Amino acid sequence: MSTRLLEGKVALVTGGSRGLGRAICRTLAGEGAAVAFNYSRSDEDARRTLDELRSSGARAWAFRASVLDKVAIDAMVRAIEAEAGAPVDVLVNNAGVGQVVPLALMQEDDWDKMMDVHVKGAFLVTQGVLRGMIRMRRGRILNVSSLAGVKMLEAPVHYCTAKAALKGFTEGLAKEIGRYGVTVNCIAPGILEEGVSVNVPPAKRDDYLRHCAVGRVGTFEEIASVVAFLVSDGNSYMNGATIVVDGAV
Amino acid sequence: MDCAICEPTRTRPDKPHTFFAHEYIPCPKCERRGEARIVLRGGQVWALLRCESCGPVERLHHQDAAAFVAAFLARGEADAASPVDRVFKHTTSVCPHCLRLLEVEVVLRAGKVYFRKDCPSCGKSEALVSEDALYYVRAYAFARAGTEPLHFSRKAEHGCPTDCGVCDEHEQHTCLPIVEVTDHCNLECPICIVNNRYSSHISLADFERIIDGMVHREGMCESVALSGGEPTSHPQILDLVRIATRPEIGRVVIITNGLRLGRDHAFAEAIRESGAYVALQLDGFTADTHEKIRGRDLVAEKDAALRILKELRIPTQLVFVATRGANEHQIGQAVELLLREDHILSLNFQPAAFTGYGGGKYPGDPMDRLTIPGVIQRIEEQTGGKLRKSDFYPLPCSHPQCVSLTYLMKLEDDTHLPFGRFVDFSRFGTLLRSSATLPANEQIHEALHEVIHDVFARQDEIERGPDVLVALRALLLQMFPDRLLSPKEAVRIGEGRAKSIFLHHYMDRHDFDLERLRKCCHHYPQADGRVMPACGFNMFHRGAAKGPDTAVADFARPGANGLGGRRLPVVSAG
Repeated sequence: MSTRLLEGKVALVTGGSRGLGRAICRTLAGEGAAVAFNYSRSDEDARRTLDELRSSGARAWAFRASVLDKVAIDAMVRAIEAEAGAPVDVLVNNAGVGQVVPLALMQEDDWDKMMDVHVKGAFLVTQGVLRGMIRMRRGRILNVSSLAGVKMLEAPVHYCTAKAALKGFTEGLAKEIGRYGVTVNCIAPGILEEGVSVNVPPAKRDDYLRHCAVGRVGTFEEIASVVAFLVSDGNSYMNGATIVVDGAV
Repeated sequence: MDCAICEPTRTRPDKPHTFFAHEYIPCPKCERRGEARIVLRGGQVWALLRCESCGPVERLHHQDAAAFVAAFLARGEADAASPVDRVFKHTTSVCPHCLRLLEVEVVLRAGKVYFRKDCPSCGKSEALVSEDALYYVRAYAFARAGTEPLHFSRKAEHGCPTDCGVCDEHEQHTCLPIVEVTDHCNLECPICIVNNRYSSHISLADFERIIDGMVHREGMCESVALSGGEPTSHPQILDLVRIATRPEIGRVVIITNGLRLGRDHAFAEAIRESGAYVALQLDGFTADTHEKIRGRDLVAEKDAALRILKELRIPTQLVFVATRGANEHQIGQAVELLLREDHILSLNFQPAAFTGYGGGKYPGDPMDRLTIPGVIQRIEEQTGGKLRKSDFYPLPCSHPQCVSLTYLMKLEDDTHLPFGRFVDFSRFGTLLRSSATLPANEQIHEALHEVIHDVFARQDEIERGPDVLVALRALLLQMFPDRLLSPKEAVRIGEGRAKSIFLHHYMDRHDFDLERLRKCCHHYPQADGRVMPACGFNMFHRGAAKGPDTAVADFARPGANGLGGRRLPVVSAG
């Protein structure tokens, strides 16, 4: 009997071609899931991730589709169901963007893009997979927020706002669809070695480390392993929760 | 209480049970056989008797309610098509000749249901009860606990129907009060179920007392119907509407033959201004159907009434008395009219009941008559399958044999789709209500959310799934706007998005079933404070169960009940 957390599951990770998304894809695949991911920028990054997943023996698919393109998302979900032979069990809303700009210089487009990719994107992709989850009366949705969305940090305002919105999205949706056996949770990582964290100025990073009980920044793999548990069947009673993974700041 | 809170899982504080059926069993104390209420309580089945010797007693009938109901349904389904008689259960009916209460056998025979009676005085008789035994049996699966009124009019002393008015052993509150405001009429209908004496109009004071009493007992009434006689012959009908128009009452409905509306434009405008709804008696579209049912050709007058109702956009319900051999071929036409006209909100088919001044002597055959399944079948046949038998469900609010209904969702292209095509009513029973439309309340909100998610998930499998989702969204947004609704608004706000078809089979001396009366929710409130379940009133109190000059029952004579009462003789066949 397999001891892997996600044996037989079908997972979709948005923004899965690189960074934290890639690490999550890798970990979910390692836990036995068939993994699909979408990307919107680099075909080469996507191919590399896909090769890595497949070479590990996992069933994996990559789709070039913006999380803001409802038609493309619906087509992607149908394609995943056709390829995997089953609806999506696990959705990780990971797609995001980073931008360092103070409010004084922020343009309307900056704001819209930040909110759209994080929040509207999570909404559209969730709506796309939810039909299958309700039909199955089971599912796991995990939204990737940030410490900047749950604690008062000096970070770009639109980024904080978008990540905080994902917490609200998580809680509202958890209440709305929990009755169908679909749970919705949120993970809020602290500063990591890579990804948007590289934009953190050295002084702020040092300040973070001074207050972090573990005394270091996190890794993608550490976040991904928590993600794997949060979307597993073993995590059956947690719903609407935001799990902060920051080494205790 | 507002019928909007009739919900399937709620138990009445005074009666923590779901009334299921009547059956004859021996008294646990004296062994005397008597009629009992079979109720589901705490996962068990209990029999509640009012023994003539021992008074109120109860005994455990079955340890397992779910198993009992399943076996009850399975036995009926297995026997439904039997070519030979199968006794399904027992209940209390009346002898069609002497009106004596009798224990009767409910018999399944060749796909139909009959009462088999044996009166010690008048001998044996039979009556058709349902044209579809499977529908009849399966309707019991829709039994639902009743809702408790705030106050009862009477205490039970001698048992049903002796204490009528209603007593605290009645199993349902008043969903629809029907106030008879006059006994004058401008027609002499061969199928009339009342007993017009042309003697009086209700006084404003009496009417106000009745309305006050209803509000006292119920708190909130979704609808109050003004009937008669012909209510528009009441010289102060608009004052009556004004009295009934109050915050605790969702709709005031005038049940009318429409003659005055059709010829008196100013009166019709006054009705529109009053905010009242009109329930228009419309039993056909040709001279011969009107002649058979209403006594004369009314085609031009009904057309005139329909025209003015449409012109003034008065919210309208149609009432169609469906009668074998008279108008059964025009049932589909009535449905098409409902679907065509926006201002027509609902259609109520009433299979003819052979009771009352006209109906009591109507030459109907009690063995070959229309019942609810027969009307449904004709709806399917005459609408080209637009509506199907499977679109209709028993109404759990009343006794499930009394009323069947379907709701029709209006889609964006102005076509209508029965709710049953996208709602599983066995799961969403809250949506089956004794109301022409859906009110905006918490239960409906919750049920709609469930339905929306269900349709959302299954939209590829459901007929016109994406269109239904668009319509459900519009319905939800209209019914639950971002503001506080008054109780009256909440009752009326869903109108226009959904229509309904009800089939309500009033009873007569042939198919009278005390079990059904027990859970009746259509009541005639009286000026003396009693609230009379409709068919019991027609049968025992009106003095017209067999046509004019039928004797009223002993217990129904004025003052009988208040003077210590009289025991009602029930003749047992056991």
